[in-house]
Amino acid sequence: MLAQMYHERSIALWHSVDRMGAMTTADAEASVDSPEPTRWERAAELFLRWREGESRAMDELVRLMSPTLWHVVRAYGLDAALAEDVVQTTWLTLVRRHESILEPKAVSGWLTMCARREAWRVGKAHRRADATETESLEPHLPVRESAEQTAATDDESRRLWQYVSRLDDRCQRLLRVVAFDERPDYARIAQDLAMPVGSIGPTRQRCLGKLRTLLQSDGWEGDRNEH
Amino acid sequence: MNTEDFAEDFAADAALFARMRGMWEKVDPMPADLVDRMVAAVAVEDLSREYALLTLVEGSLAPVRGETDTATLQFSDGTTNVLLHVTATEDGGRRVDGWVDASALAIRLTQGDRTWTAEAGEHGRFAFDSVTPGVSRLRLVVRGDDGEMNDFQTPQFEV
Repeated sequence: MLAQMYHERSIALWHSVDRMGAMTTADAEASVDSPEPTRWERAAELFLRWREGESRAMDELVRLMSPTLWHVVRAYGLDAALAEDVVQTTWLTLVRRHESILEPKAVSGWLTMCARREAWRVGKAHRRADATETESLEPHLPVRESAEQTAATDDESRRLWQYVSRLDDRCQRLLRVVAFDERPDYARIAQDLAMPVGSIGPTRQRCLGKLRTLLQSDGWEGDRNEH
Repeated sequence: MNTEDFAEDFAADAALFARMRGMWEKVDPMPADLVDRMVAAVAVEDLSREYALLTLVEGSLAPVRGETDTATLQFSDGTTNVLLHVTATEDGGRRVDGWVDASALAIRLTQGDRTWTAEAGEHGRFAFDSVTPGVSRLRLVVRGDDGEMNDFQTPQFEV
């Protein structure tokens, strides 16, 4: 039964990568692990309550989704101040343009897409402005600094980070966006990462594959039997 | 590939993504106070919201007349106090210096559709450097001593 469910989801994932609403690992995990509503379902409910006049529901929506938006935006290599600006712009855009959201259930995907778009735009403008200084330097993700600065990071995370940080920037970005975005719009991610849409599934698999190879070469226990 | 393999791969991917989420949350955590700043920024933007009204306790709602004129307004709800000092600038605009005796997370001055945003500085000070003369209203979100966030707005006043 479970296997059948996974099977259908896998098919849905791999065959509709160019559509909004493709099932992702986060969805599957949340619905398999617990009967609690997924994050995007809670987001949809709060958004509807806000639209119906319950102004405080927006506070809860902001609290629920800001961590996700932070990680999605940081995947684009923006420094902390720029990333915060982008997260804020995303929220203000929601308040100003919420009437254009025809499907309230899609609010979570709408937010992450808006954040990715804005992060991409800001990142591009910033890189252009800095082009003369950074051209010759290796592409640089601020997350690396944070990782090094965080002395108290627990052991497993630090070890895993050592491997993830060895992946190329594009893989790191893709994996981080997919990890945090429950309903990625693969067409948009592909455009942002300058990859053909058809390759996003394979690219994701390639990035995951590389990571697994790194983990296994160091004797990291397989992650198959968890969950 | 058969169904079991699909399922196993998919579960394995899900598990690895979950580990990566945990990892990024640890190695690059969201700043602790970011969420509160976002809640406040959205609150002052949300016109559908009901704000508690601060009332004018001192000063006049009449506009500043010219460069030598200044106005000082004090608003309060009995707990939270906001002081505004309005001066005319050389180019005919208005400068509004303010002070609030609570920890402000977002401060905004509105005139119809136009808005200006100020950052709360040291000791509750904030300033709008250049505002057009006109009927204005101040909205702010503060955190009280009890840790609760509260939204306020002033009555309309002229700057």
